[in-house]
Amino acid sequence: MSNFEKTGDAFSLDLTLDEAHILINLVEQLLELLGEGDFFHHYDTTDPFAQLMSMQHEVVAPEDPVLMRLLPNAYSDPEAAGDFRRYTESTIRSAKQRALREVRAHLAILVDEEKAGTVDDLEADTWLLALNDLRLALSVRLEINEDSFQLFESLPDEDPQKPLFAVYYWLGWLQQNLLALL
Amino acid sequence: MNQESEGLGIGGGVSTLTDIDAALHELLDRPWICIVWDDPVNLMSYVVFVFQKLFGFSKERANELMLQIHNEGRAVVANGSREEMERIVQQLHEHGLWATLQRDDKI
Repeated sequence: MSNFEKTGDAFSLDLTLDEAHILINLVEQLLELLGEGDFFHHYDTTDPFAQLMSMQHEVVAPEDPVLMRLLPNAYSDPEAAGDFRRYTESTIRSAKQRALREVRAHLAILVDEEKAGTVDDLEADTWLLALNDLRLALSVRLEINEDSFQLFESLPDEDPQKPLFAVYYWLGWLQQNLLALL
Repeated sequence: MNQESEGLGIGGGVSTLTDIDAALHELLDRPWICIVWDDPVNLMSYVVFVFQKLFGFSKERANELMLQIHNEGRAVVANGSREEMERIVQQLHEHGLWATLQRDDKI
């Protein structure tokens, strides 16, 4: 299975073309959910991942649970939470978008050439941030909890949810491997 | 000097009052805390990484805090002025951790 590697101070990631496609699809859907849709999309809206992220909706409701997980309330008091959001949300969004855009740029090289390959000289912190946000987003859609891995293992292969869970756990495995190299 | 005479004697009393005064100032000056909450998604090693990166904690200290969150459901990771805590919560949100701030109610 593909994995991160560290040579000297440089990090790299080997990906199959399928893996690069899956990753870039998720990254683009999350970018769009975060309010940045102005780029060429590699995914098709009938893709199960696109449906998972509900990207067919142009207008993102602020009460979207994925956005609420990525941009949570900082205060239990609604008024203080609203003030905090007004002053900080665009900065937090920008940090997430920056990481996702950088990851997308690396992946696009592989996907546009339609070949497996190596992402070289990647910034570990950026990839950790992006992988984490992808996992958080998927976790909301999949309603991940402490028992989810058992549920995943017990799902029959033909269950439409099964590949989505598989991608969620694959992302966690990738993130864990990158963390172990730091 | 034994512990009893230090705690109950006049000299000990004065120093205790000074301590209380200093502690009150500390509480009034630094009455806000930042809490990180447990969630089933963030990897334990990722939470340790974020604490080391943002707070400059040693691996041991970061690990201890992470375990406190995992076992108790939450932990206070920082305290200070409201502005400082808002900045920290913002950074924690940028990294995907579930963080909130509130007035320290221990006062």
